[in-house]
Amino acid sequence: MKLTRTTAAVVAALALVAAGCGDDDEEGSSDTTAPSASEAPAATDAPDATDAPPATDAPDATDAPPATDAPDSTDGPAGEFSSILLPKCTGIAVFDQANEGAIEAAGELGVAEAEFVGPASCTDSTGQVEFVTNAVTQGVNAIMVSNNAGDQIEPAVEAAAEAGIAVVSWDSPIPSGAGESLFVAQVDFDETGTVMADMAVSILGEAGGEFAILSASPDAANQNAWIASLEEVLAEPEYESLQLVDTVYGNDDADESYNQALALIDAHPDLKLIMAPTTVGIAAAAKAMQDEGLCETVKVSGLGLPDEMRSYTENGCAPQFALWSFVDLGYVTFYAAHGLATGEFVAEEGATFTAGRMGDYTIETDPTRDAGLRIVMGPFTVYDETNVG
Amino acid sequence: MAEWARRYTWELLLAVILLGTVAFNISESSGYLGIDNFVNLFQLHIEKVIVVVTMTFIIVSGEIDLSVASVMAWSASVLASLHEHDVPLVLAIVAALLAAAGAGLIHGWCVARLGLPSLVVTLAGLIGWRGAARVLVEDRSVGDYPGWFDRLGQDDLVGPLPLALLVFFALVVAGWVILHRSAAGRVLYVIGDNAEVARYSGVNVGRTRLVLFTVSSTVAGAAGILFAARLGTVRGDMANGFELEVITIVLLGGVSIFGGSGRMSGVLLAVLIVLNLRNGFGLANVGGNTQTGVIGAILIGSVLAQNLIQWFGERRRGPVTHVPAGMYVPPEPSTAGGP
Repeated sequence: MKLTRTTAAVVAALALVAAGCGDDDEEGSSDTTAPSASEAPAATDAPDATDAPPATDAPDATDAPPATDAPDSTDGPAGEFSSILLPKCTGIAVFDQANEGAIEAAGELGVAEAEFVGPASCTDSTGQVEFVTNAVTQGVNAIMVSNNAGDQIEPAVEAAAEAGIAVVSWDSPIPSGAGESLFVAQVDFDETGTVMADMAVSILGEAGGEFAILSASPDAANQNAWIASLEEVLAEPEYESLQLVDTVYGNDDADESYNQALALIDAHPDLKLIMAPTTVGIAAAAKAMQDEGLCETVKVSGLGLPDEMRSYTENGCAPQFALWSFVDLGYVTFYAAHGLATGEFVAEEGATFTAGRMGDYTIETDPTRDAGLRIVMGPFTVYDETNVG
Repeated sequence: MAEWARRYTWELLLAVILLGTVAFNISESSGYLGIDNFVNLFQLHIEKVIVVVTMTFIIVSGEIDLSVASVMAWSASVLASLHEHDVPLVLAIVAALLAAAGAGLIHGWCVARLGLPSLVVTLAGLIGWRGAARVLVEDRSVGDYPGWFDRLGQDDLVGPLPLALLVFFALVVAGWVILHRSAAGRVLYVIGDNAEVARYSGVNVGRTRLVLFTVSSTVAGAAGILFAARLGTVRGDMANGFELEVITIVLLGGVSIFGGSGRMSGVLLAVLIVLNLRNGFGLANVGGNTQTGVIGAILIGSVLAQNLIQWFGERRRGPVTHVPAGMYVPPEPSTAGGP
């Protein structure tokens, strides 16, 4: 009897743990993409005993030659460069691409790759706070962050800046600009509204009609800036045929975005277009319309990845969408973070630096925020059936 | 000495695991040892571990409270919503605490007076209060609190310790005193052991449960407010899923899910293990999934190890006369309320 009870307790515990894991689902993908070999700091002190637990999910950590740079070792020889690349969350294709770009840049600069770490959920702002705080303890030289919320991360980032760490935001800035040295903007945020409005007009034609926005998380700094820019542009006479009827949030989760897209067409029978300024949202919305056989009546557009959108563009569900290269974004971001951390240039208006194959950039004040500096990478590429393949 | 070791088998096991974790962290991360990191280690999960203390009381008494994370969000959302409507923040904080206490009162009333299982009542609470929070702040994040509120959550108050840490340590001490050094604590164990027996012994089981759930939600509400202060903003989905992490820590601490046994010392060790593990793995850039997996493995491993120790003990000495923490087996048939 005792044993059965204990077994029941174990099963209950297991269930709890399993349920607890659900939250962290996609984290695994970060482990596979994270350059585990660079975790070699253990090699300097106690390579075998200490490595055991992480070795289960990062087998190559133990194989790493001791000669590898030890990026997160604070007491390493001078001149070593260590950094973390913090996406909104792991398991999203564009962020993996940004990491590819950062790895490329690290290779060219001859420094250690950034640790690619992030929370499993794109709404987990406390997760990002934790990674930033731990990076300060690790004593990294630079933190590159795509902020997944509003100003929640600000205290942690300010602490990092005070500790002398170069903080570069990319993809999604810190709205107040506090704590960050520089924002690497993928495109001019004010231009994003025009690009989206133009695509809407080109898809819906002169007649225009009702459309709705399916965004990421409600306080995502970049998406909110783009939505604001779109709303501003809509006031102009050439877009008066477009009526924005609703804005909903799928939290960059495929299931949630899919359901939100379906809820939109239920709530707005005359809806003609779903505009999703997020690669997760646009793909989920296009799939929802395709599954419901609604592609003829409700079109999908926004910011999407060609790889994920190709079939929807070819079958007419999402005739047009736009994006920039996330590989390039990660590449430029790494150059910027490295330059700032090594003192090659300082973050002030008018300062310039060269980012390898991407050329020269000049730092300017960010007109889309009250404070903060930025560089703009650009350009937008608008994809349709002629160039998506 | 042998008696002591038998009584505290679970704590000894946890202490060994904790030492292992600390040793791993020291060798793995050069930044681990340091006051700042020890403060961070608590501060990054402080809202959860505050709720762990009250959850210990709930589970010891044979109940469960699944609503804690939702009540955190509910209380913070009340605060945010009132702040948006220009209510002075101090009043908003009081109102938020009252809102949380009200939620707990409803849970306690349903359990104590209507005799509903706490699993069902607080599951409804988990859904309901989360929904209420989302209604209040909608799909937004509500920020822009006065500087003193943000500093309360972020800055050091006494020495290197921020307010939330002091709250946690005060709760642990108070929890230890009540649970192990007071009549009220003994009553909780009796109720958790067998509520019928407690009732026949003249214990007011209903009132005790009412108080328990009210305190649980009030503390969760306070944790929600501290969470808001730490992040400087409130969102309807904040603290999502925390309840399972909280319950996991309490169970790892050796508190029996069937009620009636468990000690604050074990729970404190479990808190330290989980926090050190997350911190050390974080510093070693090990992903969250692996962290959760390791914590799960430790939980299961501890239960099994304890089971084995007891089994060998029985074979050597015959049946044990005392019940080690975490291994409590309620008498059959169990008439205890709760899950």
